[in-house]
Amino acid sequence: MEQLKRPSTDKEAPQQDGAAQHNSGDQMQLNGGSSFGSMSGQERGTRKEIRSKYRDLIDSVQQNREDLLSPSNNKLTEVLEAADSLFENVRETSEAVLDSKFVSVATDLNNERASQMREEDSAFDHAAFAEHLLSFMGLNRLESGGGEQSEEEIEGYLPKDAWQRLAQRAEACFQTAPTFHYMLGSFHAEPPPPKQRIVRQKKAPSKEAKRIMPTQLKKMEEAEQEATEKEVERILACLKSYHQDDPTSPISYYEFVIDPNSFSRTLENIFHTSFLVRDGLAQIGLDQDKLPCIAPMEEVMTEGEAGERENCNASIVSISPKSWKELIEAFDITEPMIPPLNSQ
Amino acid sequence: MSQRKRLSNSQSSSQRKRPQSSSGTVGEDEDATYTQPSVSQVQRNLEKLSPSQVDQKITEVVQYILVKDQKKIPIRRADLVKNVIKEYRNVYPEIMKRVTHTFEQVFGLKLVNIDTKNQLYILINKFEATAGGPSFCVANPKTGLLFFILSVIFMKQGVAKESLIWNMLEKLRINPTKKHEDFGDVKKMVTDEFVRQRYLEYVLIPHSDPPEHNFLWGPRADKEVSKAKILQFVAELHDQDPRNWKHQYAEAHKTQDSQPSSSSRR
Repeated sequence: MEQLKRPSTDKEAPQQDGAAQHNSGDQMQLNGGSSFGSMSGQERGTRKEIRSKYRDLIDSVQQNREDLLSPSNNKLTEVLEAADSLFENVRETSEAVLDSKFVSVATDLNNERASQMREEDSAFDHAAFAEHLLSFMGLNRLESGGGEQSEEEIEGYLPKDAWQRLAQRAEACFQTAPTFHYMLGSFHAEPPPPKQRIVRQKKAPSKEAKRIMPTQLKKMEEAEQEATEKEVERILACLKSYHQDDPTSPISYYEFVIDPNSFSRTLENIFHTSFLVRDGLAQIGLDQDKLPCIAPMEEVMTEGEAGERENCNASIVSISPKSWKELIEAFDITEPMIPPLNSQ
Repeated sequence: MSQRKRLSNSQSSSQRKRPQSSSGTVGEDEDATYTQPSVSQVQRNLEKLSPSQVDQKITEVVQYILVKDQKKIPIRRADLVKNVIKEYRNVYPEIMKRVTHTFEQVFGLKLVNIDTKNQLYILINKFEATAGGPSFCVANPKTGLLFFILSVIFMKQGVAKESLIWNMLEKLRINPTKKHEDFGDVKKMVTDEFVRQRYLEYVLIPHSDPPEHNFLWGPRADKEVSKAKILQFVAELHDQDPRNWKHQYAEAHKTQDSQPSSSSRR
């Protein structure tokens, strides 16, 4: 690499080119723009020329980068020498600034050139590398990729999993941490819809300890409510009529609610019956055989009183299809006591 | 000969050390100059907390880091302190010590600081892949692309001009301006995503007109990717001995602590 020699501007050091110095023995004076007016027309012309030459030099360096970097010539050296001789005539700050800019650009170029020279020992043929990679990725060179060639006329085509194939092999060079994911996926980030509040219903007063009662939904839609109320009344009427037939014997709860033909209707009967109990219109007790029986209440209480009864108990009725069938067999239920709504 | 060429924004790797300040008086806005409490202060603060409280915090930090690592974008210490550690920041060093230990012993991962100035952390695997072992998940094609770019940079001794990379990608049937089947916007992936993940550095060449950039290895690549293995694979592709590339071989095999350590993983 060429060493850049600059005429020294130091007082002590010997002058490299005495002819270039206007002020012999003194440090080079750099005049600011303010003294511009004091220059002669010819002087001004020279300054302009120097600056313009610097600019030309910088421009040509930037445009011919590739050329200057090429190891086959010494053009970079020539450019440096040209700048060197220009510098000898520099007097003004504006020119010096241009010179600095040139030095900066030239230094970068030199750096690049140096790094290029490093490669000669371990030259890397990137074109060959690309070819080898293509083969590795399974490039099919024989086929023309179907139909017409594109403008670029690329020969052969890569299979769909080409990059994946490369990745499979390349992964071994990485020590990547596997990304963390929940095995079963993560839950939906929104809060769950608010659950319907379930309020235990109050039980009609009775001597027995255990009552079974279905739970009741607090919120119901209007239409459903009417339908339910109607159904509840219907069942009450049913119950009353059975009771009237034989006031002394209690009606078996299971026989009353179970519909041997439909499990879902059985559930509905249980559901509606619970309202009767809640409102004090019916009561459920245990008979001598400890089996639950149901009977309508004589005294009808208002809802307010119903809520304040003593000995209120809450219970839950549960029934599964299996027990439903067992009960049908046990009680030998052949027909529903509560006639279905849509009896066909 | 140094592999890395810093053409701009050189990072000073010294952590600023300030004289001791009282514990727990760091302001709400954490910055890179977070003052660490002294060892004795940490011990005293630890005593005020119950073991289960500390364990809970450690678990939270571990979970936070694991989830943040999914995108492979480095985790900032400031975010960690602000979002997870919060009022436990006065025992921060102890927490991080145990968190690192947990990662190593439980997960086989290493928590690494890749930027001591800006305090950035990444997770890498403690172990190398065993050769010929089954891979349990389908390889991500991005890894192939990233490998390619990293290997070109490495074989070019640490710096590759972006024009070279684009040219080579075109040889591999990737047009950076068009949308690619597997990768989508390739240019964005290479100059933005890989850079944010710190696999690559995309640095402007000064005074270049029109402006051009160079690609270098990023700090994550330094820690995560084995130069020796890359050279090995490149040599295999050329059907040559890796030693044929003298400088690259020397670079790949010089003992540096920044390169991935060799311990096999099952």
